[in-house]
Amino acid sequence: METDIEELRSGFLNEEFDEVTFEIDGERFAEYALSCGEQAPRFTDPAHADFQAPPTFVSTLVGGRSLPVDFPRLGGVGMDAGKGVEWMAPIRAGATLTGKSHLHDIYTKTGRSGRMIFLVTRMELFDEEGVHVANADTRTVMRERPSE
Amino acid sequence: MSETVTTVSDVEFGAEIPTFTPDTSLENVKRFGKFVGWGGPRFTDHEAARKEGFPGALVPGVMSQGFLGAMIHRWAPSSEIVAIDTVFRAPVLVDEPHQIVGVVTDVDEEAGCVEIDITITNEAEETRVFGTATVKLPTG
Repeated sequence: METDIEELRSGFLNEEFDEVTFEIDGERFAEYALSCGEQAPRFTDPAHADFQAPPTFVSTLVGGRSLPVDFPRLGGVGMDAGKGVEWMAPIRAGATLTGKSHLHDIYTKTGRSGRMIFLVTRMELFDEEGVHVANADTRTVMRERPSE
Repeated sequence: MSETVTTVSDVEFGAEIPTFTPDTSLENVKRFGKFVGWGGPRFTDHEAARKEGFPGALVPGVMSQGFLGAMIHRWAPSSEIVAIDTVFRAPVLVDEPHQIVGVVTDVDEEAGCVEIDITITNEAEETRVFGTATVKLPTG
């Protein structure tokens, strides 16, 4: 029996299920920048006046859970299908960020091998003053378990 | 078109961004794993990855996304990436050459924003990762 996507959407979308705190380490994001090939000193040099994390760095921040505790098991093994970032303000070394996660979207695509379910988990990141600095989306895909 | 752009006026619709060859070497992926995370065997050990059924060690998806960001900043050093969406279509394999190409698909001179489609391909010219970015540039 196919999973009822509308039921999942109405039951789980936009409900916060995880909150974690991150201490932002400048050395870590500078190494991230260098290994990814960044050359701009604002991302690689801690002594630069505008030293900040590359926008995509927030994709490396991992929450405590990726799905709500009561989310049903859908069958197949989830695979990382993509990452999305919305950047709103610079993230500086030494900042303390709070990441709050919710399911932002649930949708399906059907191909020759059957239906795939996509889950988009969004972590909203806020600084110490409560300023919303970024969103980090993780798109997980799983092949629906065939009907028995 | 020059190798770098400074303001949105320098950007032409349809322009190709200079091709970027990311460092997918095992040494670099191990460095990423050591300092950033994703240092598990499937990323840092070809043999261990093969035992998991992969053709070889994998470049972490978050690192591939970082490559796309680096390519944009190399082309437009004063830019701010305000949004980037990345689709992991197939694995990027460690120690295999890859190229990243990008093309400007929209220019909003008034807002100082450009849209870019970016693709990571392997030597067989197969798409491994596809991304779309919205980038803000000075309007100067």
